[in-house]
Amino acid sequence: MFSSFLAIVPMCCVTATAIAAMIAEAFREPGERMPIGPLGVIGLVGAGVASAALWNSHATSFGVVVADNFGLFVTWILIVIGLLSLAISAPTVKREGLPQGEYYALMLFAVAGMMLMATATDLLVIFLALEVLSLAVYVLTGIRRDKPTATEAAFKYFLLGGFSSAFFLYGIAFTYGLTASTRLDRIGRLVAAQSGAATPMQLLAVGLLLVGFAFKISAVPFQMWTPDAYEGAPPAVTGFMSTGVKAAAFAAFARVFLAAFEPLRGDWSGIIWVIAASTMIVGAVVGVVQSNVKRMLAYSSIAHAGYLLVALVSANDVGKGAILFYLLAYAVSNLGAFGVIALLDTALWPNDQLRDYAGLWNEHPALAGLMTVFLLSLGGFPPMAGFIAKWYVFSAAVKAGYYWLAIIGVLTSVVSVFFYLRIVVMMYMTPAESPARFPAVPKLAGAALVVSAILVFYLGILPTRVLDWAAASISTIF
Amino acid sequence: MMFPILSSLVALPIAGAILLLFVRDDEHNEPLVRNIALVVSLLVFAQTLLLWSRFNAGSAEFQFVERHAWIPAFGISYLVGVDGISLLLLVLTGFLTPLALLSSWESVHKKTKAFCIFVLLLESAMMGVFVSLDLFLFYIFWDAMLIPMYFLIGIWGYDRRVYAAVKFMLYTMAGSVLMLLAILALAYLHNAATGAYSFDLLRLYDLRIPPPMQFWCFLAFALAFAIKVPLFPFHTWLPDAHVEAPTAGSVILAGVLLKMGTYGLVRFAFPLFPLAASYFAPYLALLAVIGIMYGALVAMVQPDMKKLVAYSSVSHLGFVVLGIAAMNTQGVQGAVYQMLNHGVSTGGLFLIVGMLSDRRHTRLISEYGGLKRVVPHLVAVFLIVTLSSIGLPGLNGFVGELLILLGAFRWSPRAAAFAASGVILSATYMLWMFQRVNYGPVNNDKNKTMRDLSAREWAILVPIVAMIALMGVLPNMFLRPIGPSVERMLNQVRQGAGVQIQAIKNSEFGSRNSD
Repeated sequence: MFSSFLAIVPMCCVTATAIAAMIAEAFREPGERMPIGPLGVIGLVGAGVASAALWNSHATSFGVVVADNFGLFVTWILIVIGLLSLAISAPTVKREGLPQGEYYALMLFAVAGMMLMATATDLLVIFLALEVLSLAVYVLTGIRRDKPTATEAAFKYFLLGGFSSAFFLYGIAFTYGLTASTRLDRIGRLVAAQSGAATPMQLLAVGLLLVGFAFKISAVPFQMWTPDAYEGAPPAVTGFMSTGVKAAAFAAFARVFLAAFEPLRGDWSGIIWVIAASTMIVGAVVGVVQSNVKRMLAYSSIAHAGYLLVALVSANDVGKGAILFYLLAYAVSNLGAFGVIALLDTALWPNDQLRDYAGLWNEHPALAGLMTVFLLSLGGFPPMAGFIAKWYVFSAAVKAGYYWLAIIGVLTSVVSVFFYLRIVVMMYMTPAESPARFPAVPKLAGAALVVSAILVFYLGILPTRVLDWAAASISTIF
Repeated sequence: MMFPILSSLVALPIAGAILLLFVRDDEHNEPLVRNIALVVSLLVFAQTLLLWSRFNAGSAEFQFVERHAWIPAFGISYLVGVDGISLLLLVLTGFLTPLALLSSWESVHKKTKAFCIFVLLLESAMMGVFVSLDLFLFYIFWDAMLIPMYFLIGIWGYDRRVYAAVKFMLYTMAGSVLMLLAILALAYLHNAATGAYSFDLLRLYDLRIPPPMQFWCFLAFALAFAIKVPLFPFHTWLPDAHVEAPTAGSVILAGVLLKMGTYGLVRFAFPLFPLAASYFAPYLALLAVIGIMYGALVAMVQPDMKKLVAYSSVSHLGFVVLGIAAMNTQGVQGAVYQMLNHGVSTGGLFLIVGMLSDRRHTRLISEYGGLKRVVPHLVAVFLIVTLSSIGLPGLNGFVGELLILLGAFRWSPRAAAFAASGVILSATYMLWMFQRVNYGPVNNDKNKTMRDLSAREWAILVPIVAMIALMGVLPNMFLRPIGPSVERMLNQVRQGAGVQIQAIKNSEFGSRNSD
């Protein structure tokens, strides 16, 4: 009886602390200091321990959630994202006077939704998880209610996200109409049985689901909301959603397309090829002309979605492992970069324009150094995590014979290096216009960034262990 | 177990850089920072000399090989080793780095600690490039090296430093990413042939690569190396980077970084893809000869000394590529020797130009004149280095150029004839520049108060002059370890191509030449 609950233990831990955070906030005397953030840490660490215990067990709950190694690997990535996000959020929450309980509870609910999405094996549960995480993230985006940009961002994100959910739901409906099931394994069997040329109905179902996923991972042509949402949200939230939502969505994407719709690969691989190529190109090229660092990194994250799609479309063992490793490498690098932006954020001025970074090296050499490490990792320089991740993705593409996709990939990554370097040029090679605009660095958030940087180097120099885990995680499914 | 001397060559500068991180960055610590960096780089140099002394010059094989599994799932290992071709390049790197650090003593006062850290990291990456025998490891060092160089140019350079730094980075990276794909393709081919991935150079040497793939992969590798060399028409990043870099950066850039391109051709592009190499060699030679002439002609009209030396590098490196393309003993031996020569003499020229510009804060030839009366010692050294760069018999440049021309002549007399005219041109632009700077009356009053060489500057220039003389008088000391490895590499290419190298004559250059 209890064994059927095993697979959902990690997300239950997180949900429990999220509820506890809400209750704590409700019972808090005005002005009383309460460690609500650390509460979340307990939940996430608990989830981590639970996932470690579940490793290799392949536990299933109610037939719709499965704790296979693939899902657990993504769960760990999400835990890392959650912990780092909590740490870099603390200064923002304090400075902006945001309601602690709501902020942390929403973040934890979002993480729980992401975990569910990564482990769900039923289209309806995936949809449910998608809504849980999306609603939480919509609110987090607009949590600075007094700022017009934040409200605008949240509204745009919500409206377009709502559209994408509708598409996704339509896709589920068509799939159900075809196969009379929403379980991925049954869908896979039935689709495989209906061999021969794909029917228009099948294509419609696949297409609608694809649109839904493409929205969430901000792939071209559904990337419009990304720069606005990323710019308007507080930087800590942007870091959280640019990594967490992407990780969860890609996990489900891989599950649905590489497991259930694998028999139709011949039909969808061409479309994803085009989406991957255009996502990389648009992300890299449009990123070059941005003058706002957050928008720049928004385009960078679009480009990274393109690289992940390259791994997805390659669809071989290397590609599947590459998705996992890339998500992790991208998560620590990108969260680190947004962490630096969050630490530079002040109540008066967000310090998120490119020129605001002038002379950062003189004032905060350590912060500038960390930012450089994260940016170079995003740009794919050795010996940082980003290099191994990109190398892994391009290996998959070369192995699958997608030479042109690999060539587009490496060339766009050179283009993207150009805009990462623009930030570096500002920090190191441009004198500051006016001195002392940057706030002091809080210890905890600083430590989180140092941990991210260490992870970036660890994954870049000694990737073997994590690569092996990634390979082991995908060997159990697909 | 043997002491891992090659790994320590890579690790020691990094250790030095980490040590420097813990030194407080303020004014009165500056001498301490400089001394730590200098001592570390001298230790590395001593280590390279130790390596040379223990190197078995009679053997053509890779020595001091260390192999550790790194990413076993993909057959990637930490595999390093040294043969006659890379040995002296390591020594050259060890030799130039302390000099580059010393040259910054007076010119760099801004963020000295970071400067020293970047120089040491750069040294480590350069050592790594020359010792790697695993393509993946090689690529990591190759790409990682860009980061410290980028900062050296961008932070401590002259006026247009940011532009030059970004251009340097993007150019080099654009060239090398396609090489990464070619490396991946090789590993997969190895997997298809033997059932296991491998990035191990020694195993990939034995791999039979089908012709169309050889051609594409060779082009990808050659593009990366041609940009680094730089071969005409991929040279446009070089004048900017050289001119805007601080003296130490220029010395390392010209002395070592450019050699990585030619080293890559000898170590990777030619032996891995012999068939494609034989096919493309005439085209490479053509570009090299154009580069020799073009670099020389453009150098002649430069008003800026540093730019002149930069273009002369394009010309000199053209010789090296020509020697490699000739693919015979003299040509390749000469090419490897010329790599060392160019490192010493062009490094020396950049150091001297740096000293002049430290004194006068200008590099324009027209600002100088009659220096011989004011700073006789400096001019004497300048003369020796200039003559070495021209290739005066008795000094180092002569040996390398002679060997290359010999090799090129055996292969294609016409190419050799054009290249030889480059030698004359180089005498023209170097001597003309030397004359304008050093002879005649002292027209500019600012030059009258220039001081002559300080003790520190002597310490920089004496080793350069000593090397110039030593390499000119005792070339065998250096050629002896190079010889066997070059032979082995040539055999590899010949066997791989399945045709006698002489047969290449029938293609482009040769055929046009014989009729």
